[in-house]
Amino acid sequence: MNALVLRVAVVVLALALPAWMLLSLVVVLGRVRYERKRRKPPPQALRPRKADQLVRRVSRTPRTQWGKWRRVAALARLEQAHHPAVPRLIRPVLADPDPRIAAAAIRTLGDIGDERAIDLLISALRTANGPRSRIAAELERLAPAPGPKLVPLLRDWNPAVRFWGATLLGPYPDLGESSLIALTWDSDPNVRAAAVETLGNRSGTSVGAATLACLDDSEWFVRVHAARAAGRVLAAAAAPTITRLLADERWWVRTAAKDALRGLGTEAVPSLLSVLAHSDPFARNGAAEVLQDVGFVDFLALDNPSSPLLERIYAAGGEKLREAAKARIEGMERQGIRAA
Amino acid sequence: MSADVLGVIVLVCLGYLLLTNLTYVALVAVAAVENGIRRRETASEDYDVLEASRFTIPVSVIVAAYDEEAAIVSTVRSLLALDYPEHEVIVVNDGSNDGTMDRLRDAFALEPYEVFVRRVFTTEEVRAIYRSAERPSLIVVDKANGGKADALNAGLNVARFRYVCGVDADTVFDKEALLKGMRLVVQDPARIVGVTSHLTIARDPEQAMAAPQGRRPIDRRPFMAYQHLDYLRAFFNNRLAWSRLGFMLCSVGAFQIWRRDVLEEVGGYSRRFTCEDIELTFRVHERFLREGRDYEIQCLPDNVGTTEGPDTVRKLVSQRERWQRVIDETVWHNRKMWFNPRYRSVGLLGAPFYLVTEVLAPAIEVLAIVSLPVAIALGVFEPVIFVVLLAAIAFMNAALTACAILLDDLQSRTYRTRDLLRLLLLAPFDLVLYRPIIVWARLKGSWRFLRGDKAWHKFERNVRSA
Repeated sequence: MNALVLRVAVVVLALALPAWMLLSLVVVLGRVRYERKRRKPPPQALRPRKADQLVRRVSRTPRTQWGKWRRVAALARLEQAHHPAVPRLIRPVLADPDPRIAAAAIRTLGDIGDERAIDLLISALRTANGPRSRIAAELERLAPAPGPKLVPLLRDWNPAVRFWGATLLGPYPDLGESSLIALTWDSDPNVRAAAVETLGNRSGTSVGAATLACLDDSEWFVRVHAARAAGRVLAAAAAPTITRLLADERWWVRTAAKDALRGLGTEAVPSLLSVLAHSDPFARNGAAEVLQDVGFVDFLALDNPSSPLLERIYAAGGEKLREAAKARIEGMERQGIRAA
Repeated sequence: MSADVLGVIVLVCLGYLLLTNLTYVALVAVAAVENGIRRRETASEDYDVLEASRFTIPVSVIVAAYDEEAAIVSTVRSLLALDYPEHEVIVVNDGSNDGTMDRLRDAFALEPYEVFVRRVFTTEEVRAIYRSAERPSLIVVDKANGGKADALNAGLNVARFRYVCGVDADTVFDKEALLKGMRLVVQDPARIVGVTSHLTIARDPEQAMAAPQGRRPIDRRPFMAYQHLDYLRAFFNNRLAWSRLGFMLCSVGAFQIWRRDVLEEVGGYSRRFTCEDIELTFRVHERFLREGRDYEIQCLPDNVGTTEGPDTVRKLVSQRERWQRVIDETVWHNRKMWFNPRYRSVGLLGAPFYLVTEVLAPAIEVLAIVSLPVAIALGVFEPVIFVVLLAAIAFMNAALTACAILLDDLQSRTYRTRDLLRLLLLAPFDLVLYRPIIVWARLKGSWRFLRGDKAWHKFERNVRSA
């Protein structure tokens, strides 16, 4: 038994000790080499032989994931050197079924950023080569160049493409307004939500009417975007309609309505006061919460603490709303005394 | 006869040691591939685009804080300073007895507001919700004490975004932590339900994170350096490999990103266990695999922050015995997954791995520590064997540790070369200087598990530089 244990121990030691020494050496030398390379950045231009080697690597179809990432690294190096073959070489990488590999190609296209790259990105958006959100991020980074090329996406047969088309038109207030308004009636709720969200950054009567219509959409997430958009487009004029959404069956819609009303500031106060006695508890406490957030509760508590209106708000918002207001006022008074 | 029995016991222990170490070697090989792929992935990533994009998914960061007056302000500051297009920070003060709440109030000009939140999870009473007059993205929830899981659930009730990131109140984060954590999610949010990432350890995280990348020091005291090595081994040799093999079973509490609908579906964080992180990860795997759904839980090699490590043996034992307890609780609770092909790699590899290398380890380690000297004393084994064996184990561990150091350095180039060298030289002595403390802590944790103890035993925070 002694001999067996000793033999095993010696074998393990004979393997482990050199392994530790070798790995330690690799760590230290690798680090020293890295530091040296870091101080002297690699030249932008590639030697012809190196460039050929990288082109060959990108042209091959690797089977393993490791190989695919080597191909991505080679492509990035070629792009860094502005090699003319990059636009041709990028297509197969972009078509890779692994979304992470395709995303790397998308990022490279974003770095290239010319007309051809934009066309490839839009084509990838249509065919879903790579994650569409990453394609969209690159297209948005390249704004305003892709603008006119995005409008045809609104008429695509695929709802996912219409969705991204509508979303990406956000920074282009002069493009595709009528198509976006039409998309607020699209059969796909995601497209309706994207269209109304983009319309939220525009103005005009027809835009306002479209956002108001979406407040009654059957899908909750369309109502969420419509509430935010209506607040921005119509401002105080939308307050009574948005206030209705405080009693919506969905928490997300009620939250979006509160956000929109908060954004309107004190202009929302008359509408909010009208729902303090609403039969729905969410509408009551939502209104009280927004009145608190826009500073109306503090104003009343400082100006007229015994105001019946303030009592109505407290009744709608509950005891904690009263306590919080009291604590805030005390804090303000303390600060006032300190300042005095 | 007794000598024969002793001999067999020693052989069983050695066999176990050999088996576990061979498993670790195999895992390191897998981890090296995963690290290489992630490294290339990171190199091709453009964080500036992610940071500027409105399509980067917003995140609610939840900090559970209990008696964290020493660390809370620096943690919250680092979270508010994260480079990310849209995120909110929700601090849940879990009924602290110290000045945690006062520190927060003073540092961030908090004002009480009534906020009507969803009550998706039942929690202890929420006393008040505060907003910061200076930082609109900060919300502080003050609630009665209910434990970390309860605090995180209270944070989930307040969270507004689709992804949540649970973090510890004693951790200081890298500015790109969320971008690093979310970069995979952004590419495939339908599939990736959970992400965790590599964290390092320091006595004073704020001080450690103040140094620039590549110049970050590692605590000079060997006690802290060994904990650092422990973290490196856990992340680089184990979790990266688990990720690659589809059984990432521990999304660490200090940085755990989850898709919120998944947390709602599985019932949120559980209060029935000593800690919440590993148990939740097991539960999410169990649910998705039982229902045959496509999903991923990933661990990334990117360094996202530095967490506070205990600076005394007593504190370390307290922390590690708690970790051992929750591993025992979780593995035992999920015993139906052991060797069950229905749970794919989690059932066939992950759960058995935990059972063998974590749950059974303290018993076998103690058996080895007791039986080997006795066997030598009784003449069953010669003393020279003991010495050679000890050296073999020490250098086996050292080689595995060197792999972890190499993988970390290839990925992030965080530390100074001289510190890396020091870590490499310390590695062979881990077996005699550090491992005995961990064995003791694990034994204590196992004993407490058998007794049904579920108390937290939080370690007292280190004294930090002013």
